[in-house]
Amino acid sequence: MKVFLKYAAALLAMALALAPIYWLITISLKREIDQFASPPLWFSFTPTLRHYVAIFRQAAFGRYFLNSIIVSTGSTLIALVLGLPAAYGLVRFPWPRDWAKGISFWILSNRMLPPIVTIIPMFLMLREVHLLNSLAGLILVDVGLNLPFVVWMMRGFVEELPREIEEAALLDGESRMGVLLRIVLPLVRPGLAATAVFCLIVAWNEFLFALILSQTESAMTLPVGIAAHVTQYEIQWGAMSAAGVIAMLPVLIFAAAAQRYFVRGLSLGALKG
Amino acid sequence: MTRRIPGLPWVAPALLVLAALSLYPLLYLIKVSLTGAHGFTFDHYIRLFHDRLFVVAAAQTLLYAAVALTLEFFLGLALALLVDSLARGRALIRVSLLAPMLLPPVVAAVIWRLIYNPEFGALNGLLRQLGFHTASLTWTSGRSTALLSVILVDVWEWTPFLFLLLTAGLQAIPAEPLEAARVDGASYWQTLRDVILPEMKPAIMLALLLRSMDLLRIFDQIFLLTQGGPGSATETVSLYIYRTAFRFSNFGYAAAMSFVGLVITMLAARGLMRLIRVS
Repeated sequence: MKVFLKYAAALLAMALALAPIYWLITISLKREIDQFASPPLWFSFTPTLRHYVAIFRQAAFGRYFLNSIIVSTGSTLIALVLGLPAAYGLVRFPWPRDWAKGISFWILSNRMLPPIVTIIPMFLMLREVHLLNSLAGLILVDVGLNLPFVVWMMRGFVEELPREIEEAALLDGESRMGVLLRIVLPLVRPGLAATAVFCLIVAWNEFLFALILSQTESAMTLPVGIAAHVTQYEIQWGAMSAAGVIAMLPVLIFAAAAQRYFVRGLSLGALKG
Repeated sequence: MTRRIPGLPWVAPALLVLAALSLYPLLYLIKVSLTGAHGFTFDHYIRLFHDRLFVVAAAQTLLYAAVALTLEFFLGLALALLVDSLARGRALIRVSLLAPMLLPPVVAAVIWRLIYNPEFGALNGLLRQLGFHTASLTWTSGRSTALLSVILVDVWEWTPFLFLLLTAGLQAIPAEPLEAARVDGASYWQTLRDVILPEMKPAIMLALLLRSMDLLRIFDQIFLLTQGGPGSATETVSLYIYRTAFRFSNFGYAAAMSFVGLVITMLAARGLMRLIRVS
């Protein structure tokens, strides 16, 4: 009986977590007449893909989607290229006193800065150099968001590697860069991939920076494009929900891939918004 | 320099980029906050003390954070303990419970607009089916219910985060003290109070620290669901700063507010960190 109650409670929690997502998906697959039916059609309705077809016919939606892909992959790649050597340098080189620790903490503390604090100067600075409404400006601020996270995560992964292989390679005359690229990189690949996944999710989901830095249609990311729909066309549920499903899918797929690293990644990666 | 500190060239590019993206903007922010129409001024900071809207926004931010944190913490803890005690299906349940926090905030907002809509939304639809009158239940668009409605969305979206961190803390408890309590014939509640919770204390403090920092800067959900309204029923500090800077182009005052907000958050975080280290 007690076990039964426990499972019932767990199932209820699962239902509460997933039902809203289920509702989004069903609305995106319903004809208008079914979307607004009263009482709501919880389970049975005639599914249609017309809302998906409709949003992909809009030039703007394709643009948002592409922009989101460019910004999230671009910022992730740059953060990894800058962050991995930094993590390696912090872990594998002798530093005076506790510099390595101090630098690591300073790097991480950047992640704690509230976006609303950095966005005002970033906006003014990017306006001066004419990078407002450009994907480059958005990639730049997302690098700032993800770089501390990459350094912090990769520090841990590099630390876990045995030093002996690297030292042997150094004795064989391999350069430090060679050690990083040919020995460390293949060994930390799972950790690097997980880190990349979290960076992609953060950049893909990012809203405040994109809202302020990309206000023209050609530079908008998917979240900002959807938000424009949400606030302007309150009642266009078909387009809104279909776009929502499209925006959600990559994240869920990525997350499934990085499941093993959830605790390590999300505890830091969730410092956003 | 590089001879004495060989790691420096490896770290320097990342440090320079971060300095350019956070340290420099921070200094720039302070400069903007001290600049008025006629050069240097403290006016923006003085104005803060007379601004009733700022006080309202700050009070509501604190209320929002306190209520959301309390609900999310106790729910997250209960769920972590519950799922951990199950014999089967733990992995599947955990993954499902984490889903809400992974969604883009904008998608969470879309979902809850579909649910909260007073006429066609799922929530009032369900309540009508159960025989309730829903004419007066306007959720996010009602003055008295808006803040609570937004908090509930936060609870849905971020309880998973507390659940995740507390589950990790729970799994890190060594087996011996638990075993000892069992041998002593301690009841579940005694074990929870005397062994599990004390052992989980670092994880609990970390989870509370991280979540409260995020709650104090809350922006996305509120902007997307209510834009701070109706009236100023869901106005928070981040929203007020956003509007001051990007709707009314008063960057100096917005900069002053965000600098003060930053200092307060950092002091609170330091205090919490010290508490964590002590315990």
